[in-house]
Amino acid sequence: MPSWQNFQPFIVTGLALGGVYALSGVGLVVLYQATGVVYLALGAVGAMGALISYSLIAAGVAPWLTWLVCLLFSGAVTLAYGMIFGPLLAKREPLVKATATLGLLLVLFGVMDLLWTTSSGKVRSLTFPTDGHGFSLGNVNITWTQVIGLAVGIAITIGTAAFLRFTKLGTAMRAMANDREITATLGVPVRRVEAAAWLGCGILAGIAGLLLADMVALDATTLTFLVISSLAAALIARLRSIVLTFVAAIVVGLVQNMLVPIPALTSYSNMAPFVLAAVALLLISRRRVITLSREEA
Amino acid sequence: MYGRVAHARPFVALIAAVGIATLVGCGSSGNPTSTSSGGSTGTGAVKSSDCGTKPGVKATGTPINLGAIVTDQTGTSFADIAYMADAYFTCVNANGGINGHPIKYYIETEQTQPAQIAGDANQLVQTDQVLGIVGNTSIIECSVDSSYWQQHGFYIIDSGIAPECYSTSNSAAVNMGPRYSSDGAVQYAISQHVSKIVFDQANVPGTQHIAAGPNALAAAAHIPIVDLAETPPVTSANSVAIKEVNDAGPNGAVILNFTPPDALTILQAAQKLGIVDHVKMWGCSTPCNTDFLAQSLGAQWNSKLFVNAELTPPDSTNSKTMQLYNAILKDYGSSGPHKVAGGVGSFSQMGFTEAEIAVHALEGIKGAYTVASVNAAFKGVTNFDTGMLCQKWTYGGYSSHLPNNMDYTVTPNNGKMTTAQGCTQISSVDPDIAAYRQEAGVAPLDPTANG
Repeated sequence: MPSWQNFQPFIVTGLALGGVYALSGVGLVVLYQATGVVYLALGAVGAMGALISYSLIAAGVAPWLTWLVCLLFSGAVTLAYGMIFGPLLAKREPLVKATATLGLLLVLFGVMDLLWTTSSGKVRSLTFPTDGHGFSLGNVNITWTQVIGLAVGIAITIGTAAFLRFTKLGTAMRAMANDREITATLGVPVRRVEAAAWLGCGILAGIAGLLLADMVALDATTLTFLVISSLAAALIARLRSIVLTFVAAIVVGLVQNMLVPIPALTSYSNMAPFVLAAVALLLISRRRVITLSREEA
Repeated sequence: MYGRVAHARPFVALIAAVGIATLVGCGSSGNPTSTSSGGSTGTGAVKSSDCGTKPGVKATGTPINLGAIVTDQTGTSFADIAYMADAYFTCVNANGGINGHPIKYYIETEQTQPAQIAGDANQLVQTDQVLGIVGNTSIIECSVDSSYWQQHGFYIIDSGIAPECYSTSNSAAVNMGPRYSSDGAVQYAISQHVSKIVFDQANVPGTQHIAAGPNALAAAAHIPIVDLAETPPVTSANSVAIKEVNDAGPNGAVILNFTPPDALTILQAAQKLGIVDHVKMWGCSTPCNTDFLAQSLGAQWNSKLFVNAELTPPDSTNSKTMQLYNAILKDYGSSGPHKVAGGVGSFSQMGFTEAEIAVHALEGIKGAYTVASVNAAFKGVTNFDTGMLCQKWTYGGYSSHLPNNMDYTVTPNNGKMTTAQGCTQISSVDPDIAAYRQEAGVAPLDPTANG
């Protein structure tokens, strides 16, 4: 068993990754609450945004501008999908809605494989000015990028909670989470509220894509399927509680990383999100029947 | 060329195993009259047209068919090696060919599936009617096809990865492969008096065979060694880098055996985390020997990362061979469907060297070009000055083939890979090296390698 000292740097990386999982998990929960859609394409959208940012930087564009382009792209694609397919699938079962987003994922994945091929030994990376700079806590180096990862997760969680509680739009979203039909009859502009949710979720996907491209890898496959970790956190929170999503994401990030220094378990670290989600859902299901239908919940 | 990996995430089973391998190369003919490259020295300007015996005269005779099988899959691609060989052959065809005959080069790509690889060999021999195999570079091809080539009388000139590329009678590589290149990297670390070694590699077929070499060297030097393996492609580079640094300690060395993308991912992760200097040195087997990697890493790694180089460092060499290599790469390998994506580096050097040896052998054939005559010529190459390797290159009728067992060590220097240590024999502490030297002896130095 590794010493406590060996675990320390993995706690830092776990917290940083957990923060990023949290912000995309929060996006998933808010979108689900507002529209009933589990947005499985979140990772792919962020991945493509990050790759666009990479290409623009390589072409000489200022990095900060490319980050903005990434967020705009992610927001625009997600909003467009929501506006086109949201109404068409509004009456369908949640499983159908979720599966439809897999279609978007596959389209984006195919485009990325075409434009940013992974064969021929190509290597890409995205770096932030905060990489390699930071401070030491005991024997552990903490970079500002890692601090940002966790801080953004916390800020998004608090900001979203406040937004849902204190703003008119947030109140409308919460109302739609309870009952879309009644909310509509009360005069709430349902389409506009849904559009805001899609746009917000898309922007969060872009932020997560940029951070994960730096902290994990700028690779279409990796980033696309990192959504699973965020989804695990959202599922543990039963796609309802933002705060619980944040806590679950941090736990997922920590467990995933703290398994690495344990030689017997290091190969299983990537399983952590699924195992945690499965255990949590099993425990929850002992007390009540789980349903994927927002209206029935 | 060492391994690269897969990472799996639910929903879609993505996994790719990936391979790895290092390649080295050297050698040239005892008869350096034929092609322009064959290990010439000097610094006079060399043009790509010097690749052939009749500059500017296009070969129009009956084609000589040659073939290659290379791994080309997500995360692991050795296609550049065959593409560079193709560039060389195209150059030769445009400048006289082989006694007027052009070379027609068939490249089959595979994705680490034995049935597919066996089918590729059959396709090349039965359908494409190739007379020789040049440029094979695959994670498992040697293991799958070795007996097939023996049955059909083929003597392969390749870049080796799998153990059978070195341990059989009918495969001779220009590179050292992952095991012996890792030996070289570990050997250099030991020479720097590190107190511990962490040897991390891609978790692909043959990892135990590869690790046996570095472990033997470390044991002989009484230095503790930790063996790690990562599933390619590496998707948790931060965790991997931290784990390596933790295990090595402040006076230790981390030695990587990965394909360039994975190695770069890990090294960049260490850089981003600010832990580069938490160990005494970093090392790498041959795949890291590319300018692309040096440029991507930056000055922080100058004289901190030491890479085993199985071929003559291109940035510090201005021999005629190196000039020809650069000219062919520029004129024939920089565009089109077979573009050499990695540019200057070990992979393209290997492809160049394999093609150079093949052309030299073919030019020496008197009479018809048949499977028998072509492969006899390949097997007969002896003490050839490739201009790309420390030693002269010999195929020979040995039971195993390690014609390249002496190499360089290079280090990044402001975006270029520069020589840190000149030609050094890989230690015979590795029992495979000892066995080969007992049978074949130690080849003479190639006087043309460094201009």
